[in-house]
Amino acid sequence: MAPKKDPKAPAKKAEPAPAPAPAAAPEPAPAPAAAPAVDLSSVKIEFSADQVDDYREAFGLFDRVGDNKVAYNQIADIMRALGQNPTNKEVSKLLGNPSADDMANKRVEFEAFLPMLQTIINSPNKAGFEDYVEGLRVFDKEGNGTVMGAELRIVLSTLGEKMTEAEIDALMAGQEDENGCVNYEAFVKHIMSV
Amino acid sequence: MDCHNQEECSRPQEEEDIMDIPLDDPEANRAAAKIQAGFRGHMTRKKMKPEDKTEGEEVSSTGDVLHSSQGGSGERLPSHHNYA
Repeated sequence: MAPKKDPKAPAKKAEPAPAPAPAAAPEPAPAPAAAPAVDLSSVKIEFSADQVDDYREAFGLFDRVGDNKVAYNQIADIMRALGQNPTNKEVSKLLGNPSADDMANKRVEFEAFLPMLQTIINSPNKAGFEDYVEGLRVFDKEGNGTVMGAELRIVLSTLGEKMTEAEIDALMAGQEDENGCVNYEAFVKHIMSV
Repeated sequence: MDCHNQEECSRPQEEEDIMDIPLDDPEANRAAAKIQAGFRGHMTRKKMKPEDKTEGEEVSSTGDVLHSSQGGSGERLPSHHNYA
């Protein structure tokens, strides 16, 4: 603009400036870290009133503070208690990929929990008996229906969402025969019975 | 976890075929995560059942919930409903 000896043209028409970035953020790219957060507000709740009552009761059992909420880090367990098997990653995604600090300190109320639970229940890739058996069959070297307990322990502690030794011990208690082998079909049946 | 990427992992453990564990395979990891999710679900549910050693029978015939005698987590679910 050819300045006609004016100082800077002041009146910039007071437009509602769309949040002038204070020179810090280069591009407002959200850069979804692990997975894009789920839009829980669009989840349609399909539970019956009875179910909601049951869920509310279970939810309440986990509330140790008495504020009718539970901590982020309890959500996975409540879902498990209610018969679901979410991966930690699925739960994290539902919670908006929280930090470790958030997991310990942020809390969720029941109404916000319901769409999370509904999402998990609606999730299409739920594993059934065959899926578990097939997954374990990969480690059945001799094709005889058993896997080495020791190998299974290593897999559980090094792949996927690693389990701790304590978790593995609890899981495998009484499952290995005298040769340290696990009959994985029986094992899966046992797992699915609870 | 020192040499998890090398061919020869000069580890003295020959008992388990650690080489066979596909640490970097996304499919294997995805499958493992599903199995682990199932296991964790099972363990949480088992932990919440009354500790009376009878699998499948949570409540005694008198209708009393058999609370575990130790401090207990106090998280007993209404077990008359099927959550599956």
